[in-house]
Amino acid sequence: MADMITVKNLKKRYGDKQAVDGVSFGVKKGEIFGILGPNGAGKTTTLEMMETLRPIDSGSVTIDGIDVSKDPQKIKYLIGVQPQSPAFQDKTKLKEIIEMFAAAYGEKVDPMEFLRDVGLEEKADSYVEDLSGGQKQRVSITTALVHGPKVFFLDEPTTGLDPQARRHLWELIEEVRAKGISVIMTTHYMDEAEVLCDRIAVMDEGKIVAIDTPKNLIKALLKRGFKKEQHVEQANLEDVFIDLTGKDLREG
Amino acid sequence: MTFVKINTRRFFRDKLAIFFTIGFPLIFLFVFGGLNSGDKDISFNVALINHSDSSFAKEFVKSTDGKKSVLKVNKDVTTLEQAKARMSRSELDAAIVLPKDFGAKKAGSTIPSGQAEIVYTQNNQQSASALTSILDAQFKGINARYVPNETPFTVKETQLNEKSLSAFDYTFAGLLGFAIIGMGIFGPINVFPELKKMGILRRLSTTPLRVWQYFLATMIGQAIIGLLSLAIMFIIAIVVFHLKVVGNYLELALFIVFGITMILGIGLALGGWAKNERQAAPLSNIVVFPMMFLSGTFFPRYIMPEWLQHISSILPLTPVIDGIRMIATEGKHLVDILPQIGLIGLWLVIIYAIAFKVFRWE
Repeated sequence: MADMITVKNLKKRYGDKQAVDGVSFGVKKGEIFGILGPNGAGKTTTLEMMETLRPIDSGSVTIDGIDVSKDPQKIKYLIGVQPQSPAFQDKTKLKEIIEMFAAAYGEKVDPMEFLRDVGLEEKADSYVEDLSGGQKQRVSITTALVHGPKVFFLDEPTTGLDPQARRHLWELIEEVRAKGISVIMTTHYMDEAEVLCDRIAVMDEGKIVAIDTPKNLIKALLKRGFKKEQHVEQANLEDVFIDLTGKDLREG
Repeated sequence: MTFVKINTRRFFRDKLAIFFTIGFPLIFLFVFGGLNSGDKDISFNVALINHSDSSFAKEFVKSTDGKKSVLKVNKDVTTLEQAKARMSRSELDAAIVLPKDFGAKKAGSTIPSGQAEIVYTQNNQQSASALTSILDAQFKGINARYVPNETPFTVKETQLNEKSLSAFDYTFAGLLGFAIIGMGIFGPINVFPELKKMGILRRLSTTPLRVWQYFLATMIGQAIIGLLSLAIMFIIAIVVFHLKVVGNYLELALFIVFGITMILGIGLALGGWAKNERQAAPLSNIVVFPMMFLSGTFFPRYIMPEWLQHISSILPLTPVIDGIRMIATEGKHLVDILPQIGLIGLWLVIIYAIAFKVFRWE
């Protein structure tokens, strides 16, 4: 099967800094693809070029057979974008926000249906500014999906969330994948990448240094003779936290 | 469009925005309206200093008393020195001095005579000369009582029944202009940088929504709010300040929408260009203040020197204010104010061309 997204030799330069230096990869339909790397590695810039937000210096991005730099307007109908820190204009009710985003795609939707998907049905008449961080993230995800995109971009979706909200968001992202949508996300959390991503690209200084499934990457590392100090842990602190405070999502 | 509906609804939830777009101009309306209506009856604040003890002088002093008199005599002032001090502070327009022999009968004459003196400062030449002619007329009447004389030439006043514009008409149109500026320019300038800072516009830029669609949505919303705000101002002006609107309301509304659209373009251009509040604030002041003072918002343009009138006549806001006044209080029709409409149209094209060019999503 042909890839949903093909990125070929993508480059972007800011002043003297080569932010993205020849990045190539492909993403399949219904796959969660993670981009990892330290700050300043070029993750966000790569994502922004794919999202039509930044002009591409050289190289190409093709989504569902359409060239991003040639027909950005068409691409916008194909993609849903979740920015790093979701923000919405204040004094706006949740259902109005969904209506607004649907309107931006020229569509009319039932906002309740989308809010139900992310468990925010009872908040339909609340203002966005009264939501918690995790709730805002969930609103942001639904707004990115109102038009039924084929590709979904998430930029560090779980940064700053508590463990319950993170786990809940993971479930949501897996549901998105189950719909056959390709998900591309960046993250700083290795556990998140390990649990969620089907494949991972590790970026450093504008280049992809490794690209494979999390399991294969770990295997390859072990093959090179890497040894971690062995200690058999039955649980870690996060398990303790979840056990003490419950697995259910907290609102507030 | 959904954007219009939701953003307009949102506006009415924002109490601060309501205050600034509707309440603020209303406060100005009351302040300036109050100032202007107080000026309607002409009167002079004078000091009357009587050095004479003749019965005629006493009678004259008495006659200036009373509510109907155009002279408001300040009774605290009894000497010329005090009067001078007050005149220098502009508390008094002039002082009337009746000399010692005022009203006394001169030797060989049976009738009283005398000369009143009007003392004034440089700043008050106008009111002094008006005062002189008022006193002159009063004395003439008195003279006629003593000395019957013929008056071959007289002047008769004929009041034209045609309406002329009152100071309030000018002020009111100016205040509407002020309200339009507040809404059209300060609105987007305050909102856009905020939306940019939070990345909201950036998020919108990932949707297929185009800039013109976003502008249009903002425009329609602002026009609705603007019409509402101006309508409230009209109602208050009519009820409280007895403004007479003779023009056609539909034409007026159309013209106002046209004006708001153009002025809003300035706000969209500035707000769309600015990356943050720090860039937006000084820029908007540079653009807004000259317009506010030169286009006749607070004082009518006809009191400006001629060269300044020429400059101010081409500012974007001027035709809007003039047009509103012409339709509302002079009863003109849209076809009569084609020059104004043309000028607004020209600005509209220029401003929106700039606005689209400089707009940034982030």
